[in-house]
Amino acid sequence: MSDFHNRSRSSAGPGDYVWQYEYYDDEEPVSFEGLKAHRYSIVIGFWVGLAVFVIFMFFVLTLLTKTGAPHPENPDSAEKRHRPGSCVVDSDVPQGENDKAFSRPLLAESRSYFHFYINEEDKGEGRQRLDEKRLGKHFGAEAQLGGCKGRKGTSSSGMDPMEDDAEEAGDRHPLNELLEEGKSDRKCPFLSHFTIPNFVNFPEHSSTLGEDLPYEPSVTLEHQSHSQDARCDIHRGSFYEG
Amino acid sequence: PHLDVNQLFNPHREPPWQTMNTTLVTQSDCPDVKVPIFLFFTIGLASLAENVLVVVAVTCNRNLHSPMYYFICSLAAFNTIASLTKTCENLMITFADVGHLEKKGPSETKLDDVMDCLLCMSFLGSISSFLAIAVDRYITIFHALRYHNIMTMQRTRAILGVIWITCGMSAISMVTFFASTFIMICFVSFFIISLVIICFLYVYMFMLARIHARKIAALPSSGGRNCHHQQRWGSSMRGALTLTILFGAFMVCWGPFFLHLIIIMVCPTNPYCECYRSLFQLHMVLLMSHALIDPTIYAFRSPELRETFKKMLCWPTTCDRVRWFNTHT
Repeated sequence: MSDFHNRSRSSAGPGDYVWQYEYYDDEEPVSFEGLKAHRYSIVIGFWVGLAVFVIFMFFVLTLLTKTGAPHPENPDSAEKRHRPGSCVVDSDVPQGENDKAFSRPLLAESRSYFHFYINEEDKGEGRQRLDEKRLGKHFGAEAQLGGCKGRKGTSSSGMDPMEDDAEEAGDRHPLNELLEEGKSDRKCPFLSHFTIPNFVNFPEHSSTLGEDLPYEPSVTLEHQSHSQDARCDIHRGSFYEG
Repeated sequence: PHLDVNQLFNPHREPPWQTMNTTLVTQSDCPDVKVPIFLFFTIGLASLAENVLVVVAVTCNRNLHSPMYYFICSLAAFNTIASLTKTCENLMITFADVGHLEKKGPSETKLDDVMDCLLCMSFLGSISSFLAIAVDRYITIFHALRYHNIMTMQRTRAILGVIWITCGMSAISMVTFFASTFIMICFVSFFIISLVIICFLYVYMFMLARIHARKIAALPSSGGRNCHHQQRWGSSMRGALTLTILFGAFMVCWGPFFLHLIIIMVCPTNPYCECYRSLFQLHMVLLMSHALIDPTIYAFRSPELRETFKKMLCWPTTCDRVRWFNTHT
């Protein structure tokens, strides 16, 4: 594709060449006479509009975080919203031989996990502790599997949007649950279980469970003291941050 | 109006009539703003280095062989192609200015077409990769338990194959049939539709995360008061800031270029539009700088990827090659 065509039209007559350039503004030079507004008004208008839009979007996003008394949604509707994607247990969950050991907790716990999460008003303390213990074990298993990825950024595929320190805390906290069941600290009891990305990765790494288990707990024991506040951060540094 | 893709992608190549007797042409009040070529070189080389690093890190570290990282790697690959092509083009232009190359020779124009094709492909591919990353994150959050079934590695590879092939074919057809405004309309509408979808997906994810955060804070036993309000607000600000940066960078870098395309189609002779078009080289700089910013927004956010980079570059404080090789191979 050439820039311009040297159109020598022999049909026009011998020795009668017509040069034409194919640029859009060659034959009619743009006249700058009588401009009502500034020359660069489109440029200025575009950038001002873009800046306004970006700032507006930022304020809308921050307002979304600040407004509202938490208006508790109808648990049933919220449950229905979550159910199609999350509570339905897939019959064709990948069933490798290594996965069988862990698929049963998944089948058993996923429903209780989200039921607990959504129907917070209905659950008493006892059921809560029971659920947390089961979830702690479940997530403990998850974290061991997830922890095989060199201990950092384990559930990378899902946690990529998460904040860095929240992710590192996320690696450690489920094992805290495993090691100390029924912790008295109920600051953010459910935040620690809302580690969606750990679900995501477990089938891939079940085979490497054994290798990393011996030194996983020592790592978490060191960071126990930091886990309290970090656990709160896990959710608040939520998924999309990153 | 006849649209010329070479004029579009080669801001430094002056139209022929400017090299001829310039008194024949009325000087416009909005002269073309020229960006020094070394700036293009710098941005091109820097983005090339960054994106090649991302591609190598994702391919070499087997822990990063997951759908999310495949999409990030694809984005980095497209950016690599764009940077490489632009750098080669700048080199060619420099040589041509010096006199080593003939500007209008047949092989040069053919090479030029190939490079325009690659640039087109990388632009389309970048946008498609953004879309794929947004959809992947959406599925991660909203269909978390079924994520591994929805986004299997085979499907990921299939999606990436489709993206690459479609972008290649579209680029070839765009460069071949550039005169048709229909192609341009397709390009612009693809950009706008992708932008709207990405915006919707991210805002929806953000809103759901906020609703969950509020619910958790409202749990009776959680003691919402203990989860410090300030902490929650701080992380919400971070989330809003991240999203704003994501969108802001996308729109600031891609918007002007696409507005340029729209203006070429809509008002080629309008003086206001002419003044906008005179800033074309600045808009190309913005477009190239997006390839520079992308890794910091997408790839470098992941600690795993950062660890891989550190180990690849072997910074003294984290140089732990022996253990890394033992655990990763």
